[in-house]
Amino acid sequence: MLLGVGRRLASGLVTLLLVTWVAFALIHAAPGDPLTSGDADEERWFLTLTAEHQAEIRALYHLDEPLLRQYGWWLRDVVRGDLGLSFHDRRPVREKIGERLQTTLGINLVALVLMAFLALPAGGYAAWRPGGAWDRLSGALGYALYAIPAFWAALLLQIVFSVKLGWLPLYGLISDGGERLGIAGRILDRAAHMVLPVVCLSYGGLAYLSRFVRASLLENAFGEASRAARARGVSVARLLIRHGPRQASLPMLTLAGFVLPALVSGSVIVETIFSIPGLGSLFTDAVLQRDVPVVMGLTLLSSVMTLAGVVAADLGYLLADPRVRRVPG
Amino acid sequence: MSPGRSPRLPGNLLSGAAVLLALALVALLTPPVVRDGAYRVDLDRILSTPSWSHPLGTDGLGRDLGARVLCGARTSLAVGLMAASLSLLVGLPCGVIAGYRGGLADTIVSRCVEAVLCVPSLVVALALLAAEPRWLGRLPDALRIALVLGVTGWTPVARYLRAEFLRLAESDLVSSARACGAGAPRIVVRHLLPSSLAPVLVTAAFTVGASILLEAALSFIGLGVPPPTPTWGGLLAEARHHVARAWWLALFPGLALFLAVLGCNLLGEGMRDLLDPRGGKRS
Repeated sequence: MLLGVGRRLASGLVTLLLVTWVAFALIHAAPGDPLTSGDADEERWFLTLTAEHQAEIRALYHLDEPLLRQYGWWLRDVVRGDLGLSFHDRRPVREKIGERLQTTLGINLVALVLMAFLALPAGGYAAWRPGGAWDRLSGALGYALYAIPAFWAALLLQIVFSVKLGWLPLYGLISDGGERLGIAGRILDRAAHMVLPVVCLSYGGLAYLSRFVRASLLENAFGEASRAARARGVSVARLLIRHGPRQASLPMLTLAGFVLPALVSGSVIVETIFSIPGLGSLFTDAVLQRDVPVVMGLTLLSSVMTLAGVVAADLGYLLADPRVRRVPG
Repeated sequence: MSPGRSPRLPGNLLSGAAVLLALALVALLTPPVVRDGAYRVDLDRILSTPSWSHPLGTDGLGRDLGARVLCGARTSLAVGLMAASLSLLVGLPCGVIAGYRGGLADTIVSRCVEAVLCVPSLVVALALLAAEPRWLGRLPDALRIALVLGVTGWTPVARYLRAEFLRLAESDLVSSARACGAGAPRIVVRHLLPSSLAPVLVTAAFTVGASILLEAALSFIGLGVPPPTPTWGGLLAEARHHVARAWWLALFPGLALFLAVLGCNLLGEGMRDLLDPRGGKRS
């Protein structure tokens, strides 16, 4: 048992090393290096540097050493909790990520809570009467929602709610002069700005999740064990409310591993469209600026989060389901 | 329902196939005159609303939006199909080897699959395209994008095949074939693959849809097929600049994209229903 847990954690760590190494090698496979590339329109501060300064910067970032050595330096620093300095403005990567983490986490958290709270009753009600009107309606609706790309939905929502109706702001997180409002005003302002991004971020997962809840409820809560419970006189409502969530919680845990990467991808798109200063837009900018330390830091962050979800789910299975224990890995 | 093979094709299979067939026909049969119209700049007709001469309106340079959406179908479908084929090309051998041989091969493939899964596909594609190694830059645009999408899209096929072969490797089917003197390649190709190929094709249908969606997302960010070649994602990116004035720029390219993705998903779902008429457990 303990061996299984250890193996799972170790293999997760191997995966993490693999991911960061591939990302590192990929970025360095590009022609040129950070001192000789960049957007033509951008202010190229390094062009004014003397040769000695350039050499100094190369030494600071270990740019002249072999790739594996560079990766080694990066890894050593990461273990010490240091993600390095951004190529772009020489600020610590941790600081840059830290100041944007809150924004992205806030929006994602609201989206996740919204998803869970809507998906449970929607899926549960559909599972209660499989083949009923709501089941078929929500099935078709979820199907359609799942195929709508977030950036299209965002554009349409912007046109309807911001341009035509004028109810919600078009982009950003604060209105012009929003800083001068009182506390209540500021909260309302922020909430109004978050409505469209949160909707765009959550509808796809919501569609997927509610079908998933329905399927796992049908499989577990209405399986043989619950038919026996029904025969003993347990009501359907009690079955759904008392036993359904517990039964469905393990598959839900697995799903978290798949929803998280989708949320990260979604954040990249949604933050770009709505001009929100979060991790997603930081990532896009860093990729375009070839800001290796920032790209590496964000790749590390997103893979650690996702892997943690997947590993936790596997460990949950290991604890709950004896059948899994015999097959390690 | 009835335990036997139902003679009727599932409705979602038919509707998905119909949508995709219509899109493919449109993409292939668009007359050259219309295709030229997609690039013809007409500064007197900037952002004109849908009318008889321009059924879907015109864009910020007076180009006919309808023609541009039609041309976009070519790019999107081509990229989607190429990416799915590449996914099969990578995923099939990986899954087969991992599942049949087990051991070290399985460990390597499983770690790789987990690595790809735990980094969001958009992030992988972004990093690859932004890094743009030299050999990648020399390829034609559509192939380049398809290649990048193939790198992220092979995992479902590999995962499915690995699990399936892991199950089959210990079955009587394999041991009897081996007793008859069949070698590993023969067992895999003649005895195991045929029975597991159909679900792989189901996965491939979903991969086409996902690839089309991801290509559009990349073009939307500005890292896909570059302008002036019209792509659905690129058209939507242009629509962003006119969001306050021209709703048709956002509506029609997105609608085409939506239909294509929906068509692929319906087709995949339909094929799955056909294979397992009892109704999907995973929906």
